[in-house]
Amino acid sequence: MGMFIDAITSNAFQSVAQNTDACVKIETSLKAIGRPAFTLIDKHTDKETRKYSATKELLYQLLCFGIYVAVIPPVFKNGGFKLCQKIFAKEGLPNFRSAKEMLAYYHLAHMDKAERALEKNKKFWNAISDTVIDKTIKAKNGIYKDGIPVKRYLEMWDKDKITRKGKMFKLAKGSIELSSIIGSVVGLTILAPEISHLILHPIMKVFGMDKHPSKNDANESKAIDKKV
Amino acid sequence: MGFAYQKLKKVCESLGEHNDALYAVLAIAVFKGVMRPTFTMMDKKSDKETKKYAAFREGLTEAIAFCSYIVTHKIFKSLAPKIAKKTGKSEKKVANGLSLFSVCLTAGIIIPAVCNLTLKPVMDFVKKINDKKKTKFGNKSVSNKLDIKENSVKSIVGIESFSSVYTPKLSANSRALMDALYQNRLQNSNMKVGG
Repeated sequence: MGMFIDAITSNAFQSVAQNTDACVKIETSLKAIGRPAFTLIDKHTDKETRKYSATKELLYQLLCFGIYVAVIPPVFKNGGFKLCQKIFAKEGLPNFRSAKEMLAYYHLAHMDKAERALEKNKKFWNAISDTVIDKTIKAKNGIYKDGIPVKRYLEMWDKDKITRKGKMFKLAKGSIELSSIIGSVVGLTILAPEISHLILHPIMKVFGMDKHPSKNDANESKAIDKKV
Repeated sequence: MGFAYQKLKKVCESLGEHNDALYAVLAIAVFKGVMRPTFTMMDKKSDKETKKYAAFREGLTEAIAFCSYIVTHKIFKSLAPKIAKKTGKSEKKVANGLSLFSVCLTAGIIIPAVCNLTLKPVMDFVKKINDKKKTKFGNKSVSNKLDIKENSVKSIVGIESFSSVYTPKLSANSRALMDALYQNRLQNSNMKVGG
């Protein structure tokens, strides 16, 4: 129990729990395992039908996962973030170049100062450019007269101070999550069924499972009737 | 424009503050529950009955998914304060973690299990009701099936010719009664209406 609670309250798990993209990927993967497994152990139907349905379900979920990975992050996540940056131009958001850059900042901002300095978090530091500037705070003169680079917040302040000063950029983070949710809905409810109509049957044919067993039975019985 | 802008800002800020794993999966379940049956019903290749059956099944699956996500989330969320108190961890962190865990558990185990247990009996029940309705109000497909039976048109004993089918055989008494009625009709035809 203790280990379980430690795991779900860890920073990594918390970060995943707050990330729509990661949550949908995990959900789709679990569906790809759970649904075919439960279809195979279903005692209501015969063995052939179960095999057919389980294979179809597995392929469909894998296809959903593929569509999700290929379409959502580049199109919806980044596209939605850029669009929101334009819509909320008056709100004084820093000039993050991509959703990835913003999420790297957000990830580091939620850590303690000591944890940020660890070697394993270097990739997040590298993802943030020095040219990402917050123009809402300006020094009267000197190098920060045009605004402060957001990296400086991570170097100077701890998590609580960043939150207090309103530099978690909730609006930017929220716009990424909203566009990811919209992307997930479009990808999994409109694109996936349409593409699966085109792709699924040829793939099933390769596996030698292009026809539903119950339909095969119906065809066989028809043939017998004609002969009679 | 101002209202929409403020609404969008509020939604984004709220999601930026706290994004529950539940939001995305619920949105997917709702839209799947609407879109998948719609696409199925739009399919022109399948017949109407098959489409109806498949669409209802898909809608029901997503309804089960939606309810399962909400119920498990509620159960796990109610456990968060107790666990936080017992372990000394932050309640918010425990609630967040349990939320993602409940989504995983529901997607991987609970939904497929509930669907396995309930879909077949529910679909059988609905099919039974449909069949009952069809037999009560008459159904084209049933009559078609009857026509397919071999030797369904049998010769009827007692009918020698085709004209005998529309010229009924009458007994002597009946024939006399019919003649009397016929005579009566001829006499009455001479009456002047309004005369």
